[in-house]
This record gives sequence, C-alpha cells and structure tokens, in this order.
Amino acid sequence: MENYLYQEFNRSIYRETLDNGLKVQLMPMKGFNKTYAIMTTDFGSIDNNFRPYQQEEGVVVPDGVAHFLEHKLFEKEDHDAFDLFGKLGADSNAFTSFTQTSYLFSTTSHLKENLDVLLDFVQDPYFTEKTVQKEQGIIGQEIQMYNDDPNWRLYLGILGNLYPHDPMHIDIAGTVDSISKITPEILMDCYKTFYQPNNMNLMLVGKLDPEETIQWIRENQAKKDFGPQETPERYFELNDPTGHDVIPFRSLTMDVNRPKVMVGLRGLKQFDDGNERLHYKLAVDLLLDMLLDDTSDNYLRLYDEGIIDDSFGYNFDMTRAFHFAYFSTNTDHLEKFADEVIDILENADEEIDKAADRFDGIKKAEIGRLISLLDSPEAIGNRYGGDLFNGATLMDEINEMKKIQLADLHQAAKDFIKPEGMSVFQIVSEHH
Amino acid sequence: MHYRLASGVNLDVIPSKKFNMNQILINFATPQTSSNATERNLLSNLLETSTKKYPTQTALADQLAKQYGTYLSTGVSRIGQMHCMRLKASFVTDQLADTDLFNQVVDLISEILFNPLVEDGKFDQATFDRQAINLKSTIDSYYDDKQFWAGRSLMDLYYKDDSVMKVPSFGRSEDVDALTPSSVYQAYKDMIDSDRVDILFLGDVDEDHVRAAFAKLPFKDRDTRDDDILYHQDSYKQVQRHVEYQPISQAKLNIGYSMPIYSGDDLYYAALVFNDLFGGSPYSKLFINVRERASLAYYASSRFTAFNGFLSVQSGIDSRKARQVEELIDQQLVDLQNGQFTDEEMAEVKSGLVNQYLSSTDAATNILGRKMVRNILGLSDVDTVAKINAVTRDQVVQVAKTLSKQAVYLLSGEN
Repeated sequence: MENYLYQEFNRSIYRETLDNGLKVQLMPMKGFNKTYAIMTTDFGSIDNNFRPYQQEEGVVVPDGVAHFLEHKLFEKEDHDAFDLFGKLGADSNAFTSFTQTSYLFSTTSHLKENLDVLLDFVQDPYFTEKTVQKEQGIIGQEIQMYNDDPNWRLYLGILGNLYPHDPMHIDIAGTVDSISKITPEILMDCYKTFYQPNNMNLMLVGKLDPEETIQWIRENQAKKDFGPQETPERYFELNDPTGHDVIPFRSLTMDVNRPKVMVGLRGLKQFDDGNERLHYKLAVDLLLDMLLDDTSDNYLRLYDEGIIDDSFGYNFDMTRAFHFAYFSTNTDHLEKFADEVIDILENADEEIDKAADRFDGIKKAEIGRLISLLDSPEAIGNRYGGDLFNGATLMDEINEMKKIQLADLHQAAKDFIKPEGMSVFQIVSEHH
Repeated sequence: MHYRLASGVNLDVIPSKKFNMNQILINFATPQTSSNATERNLLSNLLETSTKKYPTQTALADQLAKQYGTYLSTGVSRIGQMHCMRLKASFVTDQLADTDLFNQVVDLISEILFNPLVEDGKFDQATFDRQAINLKSTIDSYYDDKQFWAGRSLMDLYYKDDSVMKVPSFGRSEDVDALTPSSVYQAYKDMIDSDRVDILFLGDVDEDHVRAAFAKLPFKDRDTRDDDILYHQDSYKQVQRHVEYQPISQAKLNIGYSMPIYSGDDLYYAALVFNDLFGGSPYSKLFINVRERASLAYYASSRFTAFNGFLSVQSGIDSRKARQVEELIDQQLVDLQNGQFTDEEMAEVKSGLVNQYLSSTDAATNILGRKMVRNILGLSDVDTVAKINAVTRDQVVQVAKTLSKQAVYLLSGEN
C-alpha cells in the first residue's frame, strides 16, 4: 500500500490497486467518530451504448438504466442490503450521475461488517422480472416528482439546448416510457460490463486504521471470482464536437411565481489527461468568480438594477465526456439577464484585466472554501473524481489551486468561451 | 467554558483541534409576535449586505474573500415561540491562514452588528428598497417548491388563528410593504439592546483570547425575561382538512399531529425513537409499508419538533390514492400504539440514532447549534447515547398514545 502525507493539512492518503483491479483509497481523520465509505463505478446515464462484457456486438440500452440498476442492486432474493446497514446502525445511500454510480455508507461502529455489506451487495446482483416491475412504479413516481421541480427543469432544459442530440439531454432517471423497457437481462449486461472491479474504486474517509482496513478489503475480495478483466468499451461520441448543434434558446411555461432563466456555456475543448483537466477546471472556477462572483462590479450592478437577486448562482460541471458552465437567477428581466451574462462572457479578457486587483482575494477565497471541505469526510469522498482528475485528492486540488495565475484565466477564457457554445433557457410563469 | 459577558449575554467557548475551520455562532432571541418575524428577516438581510465601513455588498464580500473566503451569513429561525436571528461564521484556523484571522473575523462581526449602514435612525434607503423587494420575491418563490409549500400549508392549517406560530419565522410577503427604513432600524435597536444573546465559539484559539475578544463587543445588560419558549396547543374537536389544487403531477399529502413531548421531558428520547419507528428513518413503518411494500408513495416520512408539540407526516403520492394512503398511514400509528414492533426494529432504530448523534459531532456547526438550543432551554448537558439506549418499549408505546391527528392537507393535481 502506498502512503502519501500532506503535512500542511495533517492528512495522509493510502492507496492500493488490488489484484482484481479494484482501486482503494483510505484517508484516516484523527478525532472523528464517523467513517464514510463510497464505492463508485464509472457508469452513468450517458453510457447507453457499449459492448457488453465478453460479447462481440454493441448494444443500445434504454435511458435511465444506470439509475435503475442502482435502485435494484440493494434488493436481494431474501433481503434488502439497506436493512443490513440499518441493523448495523449505519446510514447508507446511493446516487447516479451522468457518468458515475456511487454506493455509500456512513457509520460510527461495526466498520468491518458494514464494509463487507457494501462490497457484497454491490458485487452480488439479483434481478428478477417481478422486482424490476415493482421498481418501474417507484421510479415513475420519482421522475414525476422531478417534473414538478422548476429548478431541475431549468437545469435539464439548458442541457437539452447544449446537447440536443446527446444522452445528456435526458433526465438521469430516464423517462416513464424508457424505464418500462428495462428487463433483468439488460440490467445484467450493464452490470457485468461496468461493475467489474477494475472499473470501480472504493474510498474510505474518517475514523479508520489503514492497515487493518486494507486487510479486510483484501480478504473480502480474495473470496470472489470476477472472471477475466476487461476494460469497458463505450461507443459514446458527441453528435457534433464543434457544438454547432447547440440550440440557442428555448422557453417553458410552468406554474411558478417567479420566472427563471439560465445561460449555459458548453465547453468544446477535449482532454486526454486528468492533470490538464483539473488545471483547466480550477482556472475556469476562478474565471467565473472574476466575472460574476459577489465581489464583482458586474454582480453589484446587476443586483442593484434588480436583474438578479439572492437566487443568482453559477457553476461549472466537469465530467469525462463533456463540460459546461451555467448561470441562473429568478428574475422579471429574463432577456436582460441573458444579454448581460453573454456580454460579460464575450468580453472576458477585458473583464479579467479590469478586475486584476481582485484576483488574490478570489483565489484566497477559493482556497478557503476547499480547506473547509477538509473537515467533512463526505465532501472528501464525494469530491474524489478518480481517473477524471488523475486520482487527485482534495489536498492535491488545494495545492493545484495555489499555482493558478492570472495568465491561466486568460487562457481558460480563450479555450472555454465560444459564441457557438452559448444558450439560454427560461421558465416563464403562466400566472402573468 | 461558559461565561456571562453581560446580563442576558452569554459566551460558550469549546476548544477543539479537530477541525481546519473555526466556527462562531451568535444567536439573538426574543418572543415572536404577530409582526416581528418579517421585519427581523429583512433586518437580517440588511445586516449581511453592508455596513458603514463596507457600504456595498461587494465591498463586504471582498473583505470576506480576502479573509480566506470566510463564510458569514445571517438568517432567521425559531425555537418554540422564540424568534431567532443567527449570525454564523466559519473561517480557516490562524495556523493555515498564517495570520491572525480570528481577530479579523471578530472585528468584522463587530462592524456588522454595531455599525450598520444607518443615517439619522434609518437604514440606507436604496439598500432597504432592494432588500425589501428581494425578501418579497424570496417568500413568493416558496410557492414554487411544492414539498415546502405543502409543509407550510399544513402548519397554517394546524396552528390556531390566534397563535403567533401561524406566522412563519421568515415572515409574510404581504407584511413587507408596511416596513420602513426607520421601523426596521427600531427593530435593530430592540434586537441589539433587548434580545437574549448567545455567542458560541468552537475551534483552535486560546480560550482567554477568545473571551477577551468577545468581551469587547459593546453589548449592554438586558432583562433576561422568563419567556414562554415551548408551544402548547389544545386539540381541535374535529380534524382540520384542506385540499388545494395546483397543476402538478405528483400530489402531496401532509398530516399534522399534536404530540405534547418536549426537549428536556422524560419521554423526549422515547419520542425520538418513536419518530424513527413511525416515519423518521428508512427503517420506519411509513418508509417500509407505505413506500416500499405498497408502492403508494415516492416519499413518506415523519418529522417532529421538540419545541412545539407538533409531529408531521409528509408524502408524495398519486392524488387518486389520497384516501388509501391516509388510511394506511393511520394504520401504522395504530400498530405502534398497540406495540406492534419488534425488539429488533427498536434496536435498529436506536443504533441508527446513536450513529446519527455521534456522526453529528463530526461537524462543528452541529455541536454549536445543539449547545445553543440547550442554553436557551436551560438544559444541562446529558449523555445522549446512554439516554437513547435506555429507552424502553413501554415508553415508545406511551409516546405513540399521546399522538392525536389534528390536520390533513392535500395538494392535489388538477382534474
């Protein structure tokens, strides 16, 4: 097991790749009561076209299958894994994103037993016609509930504009129609392809003894046979990597009291390397702060003109297959907001120069925010991106952030901000 | 250690080297009235927007950014009938910042609390106008969050017309128009001069230094009133019912019960166990029987507030099945009242609660929040784990029998 000490933060990370390919990271935190464990496969809602494990031909699977599989994995022939955690006093959960599925628990006792429950339920699938059918009802309700959530509709709406012919434009949970096509066989194909240990990583953070913990994991894994290792082969290709398929504008009417608007910016740069991707992500984070954070003149002007209010926010999402930024607010001035944000983005170079004296403060603030995450086992575990950022931990991220210079922001602006990548989605109120 | 900085002004210092961030919590408490919630919410927004030294929100935000992104916010909430305005700050330790950040943050808090952007007994007009509009919009936008709306509507149905609890702690949109820069300044004076103040610090700074720094804040003595904190309400003769129609695809059925058990009561920990058996955990009857077995709801859970004697159930359902769901929920309560739960279920729920409690002490804000509430209620520290483990079956049944259904609110899809 490798061990790396981050002296400044008084934290260490231990790493090992097991014989079966499972990548393990352990991060002890002194004085904490809780251990947080998260096991992740690089399989998400966009991975709907791939070559199944040990088969020749590619398949296309129904939308929402990764999320469906996540729900179903808990259920076994004679028990539910959820209950096993419950009996051990642990909290457990799972989530699915566009590019990954994660299973997690948090506990203050019985770590070994809980760890065995996690590894065993994730690595022992049980899918039947009957249980699949029942789940279709439950997930159908979940999809409906999200349909009533204007913020989620806004987010999916902008994704639909930015990637109109790619799987990202569909809800991670799929549609009521698409999930009705899911069968136990389809689930098993997905499972065998993406739940091979060499496509997964396991991270534990908090109260733990690294040597003892890795020994438990090794013992658990040595008992299981996963067959030959295969690297999953995905047939994911962007419909148009140049972004000329972006829909510039769409609008939706909903029963909302406050209209909402989101400006999206699709990134067109491709990355071969996780370090490069991390550097780019951090530079873009700082760039967006420079342009529009609450210390900026732009923010104050838009706020004082009533174009934005405290609901204003922005974010940058980076995944292995795509990346984009979005800016949103509740406002009565939908067009004005969109025009202003697009204008600020298009003049980013000048804006950066104008705001150069704010750079140190903004960077310090981002470093402080990252340091605050170091107090949370969940934040450390959830933030770990695996191969996405070449195995960078939160501490690596902080150290990388310290290196970013003003010139990196100019470069990031040049790479990221392209007129063809911009789009606007709005939700207007049917009351007015 | 606990200190009294002035009459009605308390300081608690909890030294800890566990975290990379230090935390400050300052709570201002006063009995809620039918009118003070809205103005105190607006006041809270004005205080975190600007000060005389930092007259715009960007000037203030810039100062926070330079202090390693110190997170500082104000907000309102309620403990029983006490309306609370809280200021929270978290910031990296002096060691990591390599500067005396603690002192700088206390200075900034002093500036925010004692040097607001006020001239001639009035808040700055332009700032006031903007924040008033924003407060109205924020409250109006709660309509757009259907789970929140259903929860709020149930409380509105549950609390009696003459109760101050009917006004949410965040206030009412329609009350904003009556506020003025001078009326909110008056609310500010009242808060600074008369509210009970609890200051709490957790982190890695020398305790004497912390005490000296907070002792410099110019708080004067105030009357520590013998306020009625806990809220009691007599039962209705008939269950209150209301159905509201909105164009939504998933209906919300919320049910309110009176459950007269309060923090500090002998049965308080049994009430926690009861709540987790009923609907407060994924191992509860509501989750297992309503959501999982009957597939009648996407979510079904219960929540109890130990200051109000109020327990609520919330569920997301198909409108057409509202009656069926309500009957099934009623049945879960009856089962618990009849002691129909296993020792094993009880042990699971207890170990879950112990786990939650121990886990919560890994976050400094939880430690401070809990300590603050206990201070206000005048409760001393207890061995929470032992208390949870000591709960018996009989006590849980006893708790279950105190429940009485009071209000049923259904947010239904149209047609």
